Amino acid sequence: MILVLLPLSHFVFSSLCLAWHRGARALTQVSWGVDAALIGALWWGVRHGKTISVGLGGWGRSLGIELSADWVGLVFALLALLVGGAVSVYLSRVTLRSYFYVLLHLLLGCVFSILFAQDLFNIYVTLELLTLVSFLLVGYERTSIQIWVSLKYLMLTALGMGIYLLGLAVLYYHAGTVNLSELGVRLGTGAQQPWVIVSSSLLVTGVAVKAGIFVFSLWLPAAHAVAMPAVGALLSGLVIKMGVVVLMRLAAVFPVSVPLLVLGTMTGLLGIAYAVSTYDLRKLLAFHTLSQIGYLAVGLGIGTRVELTGAVEYAVGHGLFKALLFLAAGTVIASTGQNDIRSILLWRSRIPVNARLALLVAVLANLGLPPFAGFFGKAVLLSGAESVLIETILIAISIGTVVSFLKLLPLFWWGRGPSTSRSQSVSFLLLSVPIVLFSPLMQWLLPEWCWSLSFRTFPAVESVLIVVFGCLVYRFLPWRRIRMPDWVFHLEEATVIIISGFLLVCGLSLLP
Amino acid sequence: MGAINGVTVSIVLFGIGLLGLIFRRDLVIKLLALGLVNSSTILCLVSLNVRRGGAVPILRGPDIRHVVDPLPQALVLSAIVINFAILALALVFVMLLVERYHTTDSRRIEHEIDSEGSS
Repeated sequence: MILVLLPLSHFVFSSLCLAWHRGARALTQVSWGVDAALIGALWWGVRHGKTISVGLGGWGRSLGIELSADWVGLVFALLALLVGGAVSVYLSRVTLRSYFYVLLHLLLGCVFSILFAQDLFNIYVTLELLTLVSFLLVGYERTSIQIWVSLKYLMLTALGMGIYLLGLAVLYYHAGTVNLSELGVRLGTGAQQPWVIVSSSLLVTGVAVKAGIFVFSLWLPAAHAVAMPAVGALLSGLVIKMGVVVLMRLAAVFPVSVPLLVLGTMTGLLGIAYAVSTYDLRKLLAFHTLSQIGYLAVGLGIGTRVELTGAVEYAVGHGLFKALLFLAAGTVIASTGQNDIRSILLWRSRIPVNARLALLVAVLANLGLPPFAGFFGKAVLLSGAESVLIETILIAISIGTVVSFLKLLPLFWWGRGPSTSRSQSVSFLLLSVPIVLFSPLMQWLLPEWCWSLSFRTFPAVESVLIVVFGCLVYRFLPWRRIRMPDWVFHLEEATVIIISGFLLVCGLSLLP
Repeated sequence: MGAINGVTVSIVLFGIGLLGLIFRRDLVIKLLALGLVNSSTILCLVSLNVRRGGAVPILRGPDIRHVVDPLPQALVLSAIVINFAILALALVFVMLLVERYHTTDSRRIEHEIDSEGSS
């Protein structure tokens, strides 16, 4: 019942917002309460590692629409609740058309339906809906650059979803079902047949365009940097994570671990290289999203239980602190009137204290220092890496993260800024509290076996060492000379790269 | 079945659409090419699951054993609607761009927007 109500209530709220313009803000608060109640009920249902599922339409599993929720869905639903709440509080003093709230509700509804979807076609429909909604959100302010970037986003993701649908067609022809758990059973034996490779590479390519895997998601940096800060928080915190969730579901069924490992490494390292070479604050954050998605994809590619737990924990933690980073960066940019980090530093006395503190918490979490959210996922992902090579890659990505964030260091020097806005403080708190209290929160939410897996090892010293080493690299290596090409982000080039990326995935799937 | 069937046609159409997306610089034609790509996947999905001489899939029909598989058709219906929505929305945004820049050339628009951003 909850599984149907949670997405559907948002579609109801969005149409109510459309009908009643003045009450849109109040309706959003009401819907937040409804969500909290429903997610609480959901937690009651899945609390001991159980799964609740419901078949719609009465056609059985292989034909009908199945929705199901387990602990993964639960923690991501909580992430959606927190990020959505923080964004709506952050915007509560800004005058917006009610149309924005309509889109916000549609976005949350799509997010919840993706989390519970159990068949590949339902995932296709909800991903496309999510694309449409985020397309409209990116272009909300109607500036020329926003319109162009969102158009590019729509065209590239529509191509990606076309590729995904082609994979679905091949899959349905051979396997006769699109339900994920049924597919798991049917693919169990002949996993290396050619059609499995073709369809799984098509599906992975299609989802990778949405999920922020680097050679595919070339629309991402511009879209996240150009949109309103609140929209950037939604996109980076939630929408990208939905692609990751779908990749996780695919990786559980198809033999795609080698492509995911290679793509993850590539995403991580290239994301870092671009992040190091840019001085635009929001572009820096966007490239960071890419590099951290690479981290997650490596974890999914290894695919053991430890790594999957780590990936879920890190994805949720990353959603929280990346949303906080975008919101705080929005305040920083609004108060200084600058985009470039070097000019922001000149005007740093104008930055309010709350934005400074929020930025500090989020950056520390992103660096993976203990008590903060980023630490747990990173620690689990590192401890589960079996070979030295993979461990080196993960550590290299972490060090690169430190190097590119140290540019922001002078922002945190103490100084009394101008007066702070209360609604923004509340919204920052809403995200910072779960970031700081991540470990008790996860202990309370996750089933026991996940938790014991997460805390077999506790490499706090290692994470501090990574930060120290990153500082040394920042001080002594000539990272400022790194220049990355910009032409890859143009529309035509990005299309060519997506297609050649598909061939790459195909080739990699053929490897044992 | 011969060499020319729904599947091969759909693959050819997919290729034509891709070439259009890559090589044509007119945004409207690009969107048409995108529509071609998406429609060709729909054709592929339907024609892979075709059954010669099958009856219309209606419950309580005359003979339930020889009906075509209804699932792909149900899937295709939602895919068509989604593609329509994408094309319609994208065309609206192209219209806004054309009003501001008086061209549909994607390279020129991208160049002008980049130069606006840097100045």
